[in-house]
Amino acid sequence: MRRTLKGILLLASALGFLGPWARAQSKPVSKVVPPKSGTQTEVTVDARQGKLGLGLPDPIVAGLDAASVTSNFTEVLRRDLEDAGPFALLKDKLPLSVAVATVKPWLDAGAEWVLALKVTKNGEAVTVALQVMDVKATTQGDGKQLRYAFSKNYTGNATLLRRIAHTLADDLVDRLTGDRGIANTRIVFVRQMAPGIKELFQVDRDGANPIEITRYGSLTLSPTVAPDGRLAYVTYKGGSPEIWGQRKPGGAHERLYPNAAAGTQGSCYAPVWSPDGKRLAFSQSDRRGNSDIMVLDSQSGRVRKLTDGGFINTSPSWNPAGTQIAFTSDREGGPQIYLMEEDGSNVRRLTLEGSYNESPAWSPNGAMIAYVSRFEGKFDLFIFKLGEGKAYQITTGVASSESPAWSPDERRLVFSSNRGGSMQIWTTDLSGNSVKRLNEFTLCQSAKWTRSR
Amino acid sequence: MRSVRTLFVLGSSLGLVTMLACKKPEPTPEPPAPTVTKLEPPPPEVKTTPVDSTKPVDMSAAKYAEFQKAASAALKDINFDFDKSDIRDTDKPKLQAIASFMKSFASAHIMIEGHCDERGTVEYNLALGDRRAVAAQNYLSGLGVNRDRMGTISYGKEKLKVTGQNEESFLINRRDEFKLQN
Repeated sequence: MRRTLKGILLLASALGFLGPWARAQSKPVSKVVPPKSGTQTEVTVDARQGKLGLGLPDPIVAGLDAASVTSNFTEVLRRDLEDAGPFALLKDKLPLSVAVATVKPWLDAGAEWVLALKVTKNGEAVTVALQVMDVKATTQGDGKQLRYAFSKNYTGNATLLRRIAHTLADDLVDRLTGDRGIANTRIVFVRQMAPGIKELFQVDRDGANPIEITRYGSLTLSPTVAPDGRLAYVTYKGGSPEIWGQRKPGGAHERLYPNAAAGTQGSCYAPVWSPDGKRLAFSQSDRRGNSDIMVLDSQSGRVRKLTDGGFINTSPSWNPAGTQIAFTSDREGGPQIYLMEEDGSNVRRLTLEGSYNESPAWSPNGAMIAYVSRFEGKFDLFIFKLGEGKAYQITTGVASSESPAWSPDERRLVFSSNRGGSMQIWTTDLSGNSVKRLNEFTLCQSAKWTRSR
Repeated sequence: MRSVRTLFVLGSSLGLVTMLACKKPEPTPEPPAPTVTKLEPPPPEVKTTPVDSTKPVDMSAAKYAEFQKAASAALKDINFDFDKSDIRDTDKPKLQAIASFMKSFASAHIMIEGHCDERGTVEYNLALGDRRAVAAQNYLSGLGVNRDRMGTISYGKEKLKVTGQNEESFLINRRDEFKLQN
C-alpha cells in the first residue's frame, strides 16, 4: 500500500489540522503539488495529523554488542524518522516483536507499519535486514502470515551503522511519499578554534559524526559544496584571502583563485559553485575598496567579471538552472539583493523593504530566495517567493540569525544564530516554528547542507 | 629596508607589534585530507613564532628607540559608524599622526586592516572592511604617503577586538588597525 501523503496533507491543511510538518509543507506554496486524481485511496485526519503510525521495536541483534546497536543504529534511525515528518513513531506499551501473535496489539496501538529489523555481524560485514510489516494488510489476510509493505537488506561494516540507519530512513520516506529524504545528508560549516583561527568541519544532518576538514591554523571561511562533493572556500593561510578547494572529488585542496590566468590581484570572498559544479562565482575586491562578482570557469581557469566597479557586489547565489545569479550590492545605498543573468546583464533589484538585505540563497527548486534582513535592529531570516513577489519573515527577533542555506529537500534552512548565547548552527522549517540546534559546537558560522559528502 | 625588518622583529618581542603570528610560515603546507578526526579537546592554540631578539645592526639604539616610540604613538586605531567607511572628523588627527610617522621613517611600511562589528553578515562585512582599509589608505595618500608603503586587508567581523554586545563595543570593533610590516 502506497499512500498519497501529499493529498492527505493538503486536505488536513484545508481542514485546519495543521501539524508542524503540515505547516511547513503548506506555507511554501510554490512547491505544493496537487494530488493526482484517482491515486488517493483514503483520507485519515486523526490525532496524528495525517502521519503514518510507525512501530519500531528493538532490532534482533546477532554478533554485535546490543548496546552499540542501540546507540549507533536504533536511536539514530528513530531520530531520523521523527525528524523526517511523515511518520508518527509509536512510543507506549508496544509489543516487543513482530509476529502474527502481536499484530492485533500493534493494530490497537495505532501502527500502520512496523519495522522488523535484524542486525547481524558476520566477519567484518554487518547486514541490516529490514522488513516493513503492513499491519492492516496482515490483519485483513488469512491471519497466519505477515504481509510486508517493503523489504531491503543493507550491508557495510560496523563503522557504517549510522549511515545505514540514515539510508534506511530515506528509503522509508521515499516509499511512503515518493520524495527523497534528507537523513543521509551532511552539513559543512566554519568553527572558530582560537581567536583568529577558523577551520572547516562537517557533521551528519543529526549533528553527529563530526569531521575536521581543514587544519590550516588560519582564518578559513565561506565553504561551498559542488554537486559531486568538491569543496571551495576562502582561506587567509597565504596571508590574504584566496579561494582554495578541490578540483576533483576527494582530491587534494589547492588554490583555485587567484590563478595563473588572473590579471588583477585582490581579496577574494564568498565563493559558490554553480549547480553543475563547473563554474565558481565569487567576489573580488579592487584597489578602491569596491568588489565585483566574478565567475571562474574551473576547466579553462578563465575568469569573467559580471558587475562593474564602484560598489560592493558580493554574496553570489546561482539559480538551480545556473542561468541567473542573486547577489548583494550597495549601489543604491545600503546592502540590497539584486538578480542578474549569468553574463551580468539585466540587473534588477529584488528586495524593496528594509535597509539591510544580504546573503541571498536561491532554493533548490528555484521558486524562493532566502536571505538575511535587518529588522527592528535584529538580523532575521526571510524568504522571498519569486512567484508572489513577496517576502516572508521566518525567524523572529530573538537574536541574530545569519547565513541561510537550504536543505536539499527545500523543507528547512540551516543558519547560524547566537540565540543560545554563542554563535551556533541551527535549522528551521519554513514556518519558523520548528527551530533546532544542530549540535553543541559554539563559535560556528556559514553552514551549507549537502547530499554529496 | 633591512633595518626596518629587524626592528619589526625586535618590536614584536617588546609587544609593539602583536600580529606577527599572521605573518609566520604556514604550519601545515600539506593539503588537508578530509579524514575522520576526533574533535575533543580542540587542537591547542596556534604556537607563537620564536622571536629573534638580536639587536638591530644598522640603526643606532637611540634611533631605534625613537622609531619604536613614534610607531607606538602614531599607529592608533581609527573607528567608523555602522555600515560606513567614511573617515570621521575625530579620527583625522590620528591619520595625520600616522602620516607624520611615515614621513619621519621613510623605510616604514604598514598594513591597514579593516574590521567590522559583529552585526551583519560575514560576506558583506568582509567587503565593508576593504572599504574601510582603503578609506584610510586614500586619506594617508592624500597627506603625501606613497601608496606602495601601505597595504590593505579586510578581516570583516572575523577578528573582533572586544566581545561586548553594546554600542561601545561595536564602535571599538568597527576599526582600522595599522600594523608595521616588513
